[in-house]
Amino acid sequence: MNPVRATVEIGPQAGMASGALILFWVFAVIAVAGALATVTRRNAVTAVVCLVGTFFAIAAEFLLLYAQFLAVIQVLVYAGAIMVLFVFVVMVVSRGEADPLWKLQGPVTKTVAVLAMGTLLWRGWHALRSFQPARLDPPPTGFGTVGGVGQVLLGDFLFPFEAISILLLVAVVGALVIARHHHDKDKAAQP
Amino acid sequence: MSDFPLHLIPLLPLVAAALNLAIGRKLPRDASSLLAVGSVAASLLISVVAFSRMAGGEGAVQPLHETWYTWIATSSFKIDAAFVMDALSGVMTLIVTGVGLLIHIYSIGYMSHERDYARYFGYLNLFMGSMLILVLGDNLVASFVGWEGVGVCSYLLIGFWYDKEYNAYAGRKAFVVNRIGDFGFLLGIFLLLTAVGTVNFGELEGKRTLLSAPLWGKNVAFWGGLLLFVGATGKSAQLPLYVWLPDAMAGPTPVSALIHAATMVTAGVYMVVRLHIFYAFGPSLGLAPHLGGAVMIVGCATAFWAASMAFAQTDIKKVLAYSTISQLGFMFVGAAGAVPSSGIFHLMTHAFFKAGLFLGAGSVMHAMSDRTDILEMGGLRKKVPITHACFLLYTLAIAGCPGFSGFFSKDAILGSAAGVDQVLPAWHHFGLATSLVLLAVAAMTSFYMFRLYFLVFSGESRADKHVAAHIHESPPVMTVPLAVLALLSVVGGLVGTPWHDLLGEFLGAPPEVSIPWQNMLGGTAAFAAGLLGAYLCYAGGVRAPVQRFAKGLPWLYDLVKNKYYVDELYDTIIVRPTKLVAHGFADVFDKFLIDSVLVGGLARLVDGIGYLVRRVQNGDVQRYLATMVIGAAVLIWLAARPPADFAVEVQGTTVTVVAAGTGRGVPRRLRYCWRIDGADKCESERPRDSLRITPGRHKITLRVWDADWGTSASRSLEVHGS
Amino acid sequence: MIPVSNFLYLAAILFAIGLSAVLLRRNALIVLMGVELMLNAANLTLLAFARAHHDLRGHAIAFLVIATAAAEAAVGLAIVVGIFRTRHTANIDEVTLMKH
Repeated sequence: MNPVRATVEIGPQAGMASGALILFWVFAVIAVAGALATVTRRNAVTAVVCLVGTFFAIAAEFLLLYAQFLAVIQVLVYAGAIMVLFVFVVMVVSRGEADPLWKLQGPVTKTVAVLAMGTLLWRGWHALRSFQPARLDPPPTGFGTVGGVGQVLLGDFLFPFEAISILLLVAVVGALVIARHHHDKDKAAQP
Repeated sequence: MSDFPLHLIPLLPLVAAALNLAIGRKLPRDASSLLAVGSVAASLLISVVAFSRMAGGEGAVQPLHETWYTWIATSSFKIDAAFVMDALSGVMTLIVTGVGLLIHIYSIGYMSHERDYARYFGYLNLFMGSMLILVLGDNLVASFVGWEGVGVCSYLLIGFWYDKEYNAYAGRKAFVVNRIGDFGFLLGIFLLLTAVGTVNFGELEGKRTLLSAPLWGKNVAFWGGLLLFVGATGKSAQLPLYVWLPDAMAGPTPVSALIHAATMVTAGVYMVVRLHIFYAFGPSLGLAPHLGGAVMIVGCATAFWAASMAFAQTDIKKVLAYSTISQLGFMFVGAAGAVPSSGIFHLMTHAFFKAGLFLGAGSVMHAMSDRTDILEMGGLRKKVPITHACFLLYTLAIAGCPGFSGFFSKDAILGSAAGVDQVLPAWHHFGLATSLVLLAVAAMTSFYMFRLYFLVFSGESRADKHVAAHIHESPPVMTVPLAVLALLSVVGGLVGTPWHDLLGEFLGAPPEVSIPWQNMLGGTAAFAAGLLGAYLCYAGGVRAPVQRFAKGLPWLYDLVKNKYYVDELYDTIIVRPTKLVAHGFADVFDKFLIDSVLVGGLARLVDGIGYLVRRVQNGDVQRYLATMVIGAAVLIWLAARPPADFAVEVQGTTVTVVAAGTGRGVPRRLRYCWRIDGADKCESERPRDSLRITPGRHKITLRVWDADWGTSASRSLEVHGS
Repeated sequence: MIPVSNFLYLAAILFAIGLSAVLLRRNALIVLMGVELMLNAANLTLLAFARAHHDLRGHAIAFLVIATAAAEAAVGLAIVVGIFRTRHTANIDEVTLMKH
């Protein structure tokens, strides 16, 4: 077990007033608010829109983490493609029926689970408080760029990269098969 | 060691039995019967050869031994599967195989209409094999194998027509009562093995000292002999274990002839004679004269008891059954008396005429379309002449007509009984009393046998028209054995006349007691009295004297007719309670305890647990997920605890702990326990990471623990403060 | 600069919110959205540590996660659509054929 052994130096309380921090807080609030909104909406369309907002906020956070490439990918793929897909499906599926929010099955187990998660969060908080590094120096240039990430992807992660394409192919085919209209004779063959 | 392949004698019938039972159904009838009869004939042949080998030499008899293999060998005793043919077993073997052969031949005719032909012959052969093992065995255990075997065969054959409930019941009754006797027999074997160390007949003869050793008030021989006699009581249908024999008449008639007249029931007598040193009074006084006396009393009482019951029976076979019991009583008295060979003599003659009587009865039943009620018979002498002639000869023999075999053998028995007084005068004419009782029984025998004869053969037919029309003589295959047996019944007595007791000498026990020829007068008188009485009462049918008697003493008549209600008595005392206990066990223990509680309960337990567990699967995936989350949380919690590792630095008089992670002004909540020089209590529990110590050497044990995560670490170090 | 731990807190909170959506909501679509939220939280964590360790492999993994999430969303939504066809409902409480 390697202890996170960092130097115990009480340096200046860093980053308290830097602009990046303010941005962080702004987008963090948006993200959390959006997430809460998503989770509590009855109307699925509203939930989707809120989630889109959350994703944008998260993309901003990515930027603050020097992850430019991924921020853009987040917007393009997540907020752009996946959420659009969600919108379509919501429009097809949703019937505006009331979703009885608080009538849960097995409420005990679920509440316990949520509490368990909460406890972990709390502990994590404590852990993080003791372990945070005090200073962060900025990463080198090229960090988080397309080129940088690309080099890793096509270098160390070549196999997963290629495998992902197959995964996507499988997913596309599978989604098509599952969701297509079944003709009459297929309907009769269905269980 | 083998003088002669004696084992072939029982083996051949056993092999034939195996074949008949296994594949007999597929064989043609003639093949089955040929197999059966042939094997017995072969056994007879071999027995004759062995017998002549044994007896043929001039002078003394040379017994033949054969040890087939060592069966049981322990440190204390050894039991071999071994056979011996000496004079006694030789005579027995000839009787068994000879009479057995005749009965097998008879059966071909009698059972010709039988569906289970091969099974019958299979069982019959099985019986023969077992009986031969019994008589040829050279020790009690080997004989016991045969003893049990004949018991089993008796059961199988009595209940041969098992579709009828009564037949099965009769078979069971025979077996169970036999078993009671066998238990005693086994105990006797055990006793002898422990007390004497051997059950080999030859060796027992030489263990007189051990056998005379005192035991429980008497001696070993007394108790051993008594227990063995209990077995004999069961097998040979003496008081109190005779009740199975009348019911055993449910089996086919040739079976009754073979098993319940000539062979199996005589096994007990054989045993008593074999072990005459236990029972008998002479030639040299037996080891347990009181036992011998007891045997004689039992035999006597049985003879009388059974004879009285025969007076009122109306079933032809039942009369003969009671007659058998009675005659067996005779045999026991003779065997335990002064002249043991008399028992064997009567055994032999009885085999001839009783087997003949049964076969004749079978012939009569055959003619009468299987009716057995003698009150419905009559006048058969004209219709079945050969059977009638033979039957008459048998009756004369059993009744003791002078010159016939039964006359001489009964005489010998009476003499043996009376001779006890000469050996043991202290017993105040015990022998005389016994012989007088037997004389009376002889008269009774004559009476009821002639009653039977008159009712069946004399007078006019009382039969139903239908039945009467079918009366016909039996085929030769049945009448020839009858004739042979009749011949033997007539001349068979010549081997044991008082003037020259061939048989007695041959059996190696020359009588040291003299039997006055006046005894023969008594026998003749008994015969005549019985014949006269029967003639007066029954010639031509049931006549007036009997009817007057029946009317005058109805209670006596009923009592005797119902066999003194002994069966009912046994039923109440023994059978019912046993059944009650058995049912109790079955219901409480088996049905309730094991079935409901243990097995059923277990099943219900599993079912219940399963029901509870099934409820987890309620189809709500989110619930499953929730459970997963809880599990994951626990795992993460356990795995991700930060250790309470630390490093220690000593500077001057200050010991500093460098523990992981204090940052941002918010200290990790660590607790410290400093122990200096092995003190028990913590010197300091300050949530502070340094301690000031005095100069000098110190041993410090430091324990750090993290209250939040529950992890801790401790270390000891030597510190030199300077 | 911004302490990395901030991002970690944020990610944790988002993850918890997503988890509660998955566990507590009945509409299948909302559940799927909760899953996406959880994946995003994971991505955030990855990137935070990548930033702290100056290691681009975190980015690469996050990239792959996004791609996988896309595939999973497609198939999952297709299933919802398929179920909706026969059952005319997106309420997961009414899809309990596997129940004992």
